[in-house]
Amino acid sequence: MGFIELNVLNNASSNVALGIDLGTTNSLGAMWKDGRPIVLHPEGSCGYVPSALHFSEQGAVIVGREARELALVDPAHTLFSIKRFMGRGLKDVENDARSVPCPLSETANGVVQFEMRGRKYTPQELSALILMKVKDQACKALGGLEVTKVVVTVPAYFDDAQRQATRDAARIAGLDVLRIVNEPTAASLAYGLDQRKRGTVAVYDLGGGTFDVSILSIEEGVFQVLATNGDTHLGGDDFDRTLVEIARKELAALMRPSALEDRAFLQLLRLAAERCKIELSTDPEAYMHVSLPESGVQWRRKFTRHEYDALTAHLIERTLHSCRRALADAKLAPEQIDEVVLVGGSTRMPSVRSRVEKFFGRKPHCELNPDEVVALGAAVQAHVLMGGTREVLLMDVTPLSLGIETMGGAVSKIIQRNSTIPCQATEGFTTYVDGQNGIDFHVVQGERELATDCRSLGRFKLKGIPALPAGMPRVAVRFHIDANGLLTVTAKEESTGTSARIEIQPMNGLSDGEIESMLNSAYRNAREDFDARRAADLRIEIGTMARATERGLSQAGPALDRETRRDVEDALGAARRSAADARLDAVALQKHRDELERATLPLAALLMDHVAKAALSGKRLDEV
Amino acid sequence: MAVCSKCAAQLETPLACGACGSLFAPDPEPTPFECLGLTPDFDVDAAEVRRRLLRASRLVHPDFHGASGEQSRAAAERATAALNRAHALVLDPAARADWLVRSLGGPSESQVRSMPQDFLMEVMEWNEALDAARGSAPGSAARVGLEALEASLAERRASVLREVRRLLVPLPAREAPALALARAQLNALRYLANALDQLEALRLDSPSPR
Repeated sequence: MGFIELNVLNNASSNVALGIDLGTTNSLGAMWKDGRPIVLHPEGSCGYVPSALHFSEQGAVIVGREARELALVDPAHTLFSIKRFMGRGLKDVENDARSVPCPLSETANGVVQFEMRGRKYTPQELSALILMKVKDQACKALGGLEVTKVVVTVPAYFDDAQRQATRDAARIAGLDVLRIVNEPTAASLAYGLDQRKRGTVAVYDLGGGTFDVSILSIEEGVFQVLATNGDTHLGGDDFDRTLVEIARKELAALMRPSALEDRAFLQLLRLAAERCKIELSTDPEAYMHVSLPESGVQWRRKFTRHEYDALTAHLIERTLHSCRRALADAKLAPEQIDEVVLVGGSTRMPSVRSRVEKFFGRKPHCELNPDEVVALGAAVQAHVLMGGTREVLLMDVTPLSLGIETMGGAVSKIIQRNSTIPCQATEGFTTYVDGQNGIDFHVVQGERELATDCRSLGRFKLKGIPALPAGMPRVAVRFHIDANGLLTVTAKEESTGTSARIEIQPMNGLSDGEIESMLNSAYRNAREDFDARRAADLRIEIGTMARATERGLSQAGPALDRETRRDVEDALGAARRSAADARLDAVALQKHRDELERATLPLAALLMDHVAKAALSGKRLDEV
Repeated sequence: MAVCSKCAAQLETPLACGACGSLFAPDPEPTPFECLGLTPDFDVDAAEVRRRLLRASRLVHPDFHGASGEQSRAAAERATAALNRAHALVLDPAARADWLVRSLGGPSESQVRSMPQDFLMEVMEWNEALDAARGSAPGSAARVGLEALEASLAERRASVLREVRRLLVPLPAREAPALALARAQLNALRYLANALDQLEALRLDSPSPR
């Protein structure tokens, strides 16, 4: 796809909003244009940005395709699947941590941190870098138009902490988040608009790291989610892992036990497994290769599709179990689903397609590119939010029940799962002791009966309750889940009308202060990255200029006066040395470049003169 | 029916004006029936409720106030939350009946804890069946029997709802004795709903192969 022509003057950036699919494996931006959503990518580059990050020796963070390629030569400094760590603590990610090639730690509020090249990064900061890259690519495709308003998608089954982390990532990237939209819902928007569907639709979305199923009813532009279910830790990565485990077992005979646990080696295995898996989607058999020249290991293993399907059948069964639950909540039988839509790169696996088809008893739709459909849907939603249309009405749900921990550690549910959002509930609290001026409560999300089995959203402290006898204060706490699926809690003491203050200790989340400082450092990093790119460009430019100068000197040098000639040679030598000196920054390089340009002006003039004379004497340019 | 304070048009919902698009934040919050512009009644026309929900949603949904300021976005959030709650409540017969009993000054579930007399025995019977099924393997006799139990509970639920309807249509006067009787039926309904939820959970844990 080529550049999109936009009249920058008439299309002030404030009128444009991007839809961004922030994926486990790949990320992509899209935009509404001429009555339909389109994927945005600069000319010559293919659409998506791999959600990969490479940490260079110089301390720069390289994002996207280059990072993915660098993973092959330096797996120890490359990270993938950051999304699986969003809004999670260390103990939640034990499984995923094994394929991370660097040490992990945790902040005081339980946010995972990756330690790379002596610096710690939260998943929010790393996702921010991916978002910035997607935005930059999109802006380039728009001919340099600066866009800051975005709609970002998340798995429908993401809980509050994971959504919050996604929004924080966008904030750190300096983006204005119009809305967090659920991926399967976004996909249904892209499909529904295309085909003017009507009826009940099941969206089966198996991505790189997450699985969602959403059941929707669609009619006359109303997209109503009836139920959603899923698993935020089930995706293509888990399919890779089954192959990795086999490789590890078989390689155990060839390698030292410590080498088998080496994180960079595991990263290499993961990449080999992924390649093998992708080949098996088109070929009946494929090889997994592992080559470690330094330890003399050459390993090759054939997998047939039949063997692979048997190895991964339990993973697909888990997705179907989620489908059963979603259907039960929607009070529908599989036969009552009119259309099934496949989303996410992992639905390219033939075994996934055939088992989904068998489960619902109908052929699933996969007309739209499963890697693009979510970003396209996000662009539709961005168009709606910018006031582009009132034809589309999206009614989504909250995937998990919201509850408060009671005295005995049980959960009292205040908002049921699959409630249409925005939704709210008000809960009354009172005091147990005379004069008590604070009340603590613990908010959780999940379906289990005990609070410890649910996801903690944080401990809330109500403060500033007027001093009254026990049981007299009436504090009304309002729980509001907004259209993003994000919770806000407000409180009011009803007998006196004073509004109680709430202090929140977020679980697995960043504080405003932390976001602020990350935002600042992200800008600093962006500046540094920009400078690094500029410096690299200048080195190339100086090289080109130096070669041209040398050619010029050999042709017209004798015609220059000695002083000028020495001036040129000095500037040339200095510029050459500067280009080779890795310590110099863009500003210093620019000075040398400009100096070379200045010094060579007389030479250039002389050359022009030569050219002109040659032309007049009837010689061709290359004969001069 | 109320009129718009801005343009004097007839209001279909107190949350927003369909004519001039103004959003309102009525205090106290309107009742579920008021939100949808309906008169309180046990009998509702589900299709009509949905039509009203969609019409009102197109006025108040935050999606259509995304480009406006923080304040109107917040008002849209509040109004839509009220509307969604109203829709869920009005379409759920148990929740609807519960609200009607309360709003007519009838007893709450903590004031009248009784259930219809024959009901307690039944509760004990099905709890036994549930416990037995929970302790046994999928495919065992105890689990196979659950299907019949589920069907009979669903039938029981329908008959309790018919009784609730008999008590609440036409709507009784405030604090009428029928409200306490309806409350007892609603208590039974809670037990039934709980048992049906547990049956569904059991069924989903031992899925039939497809």
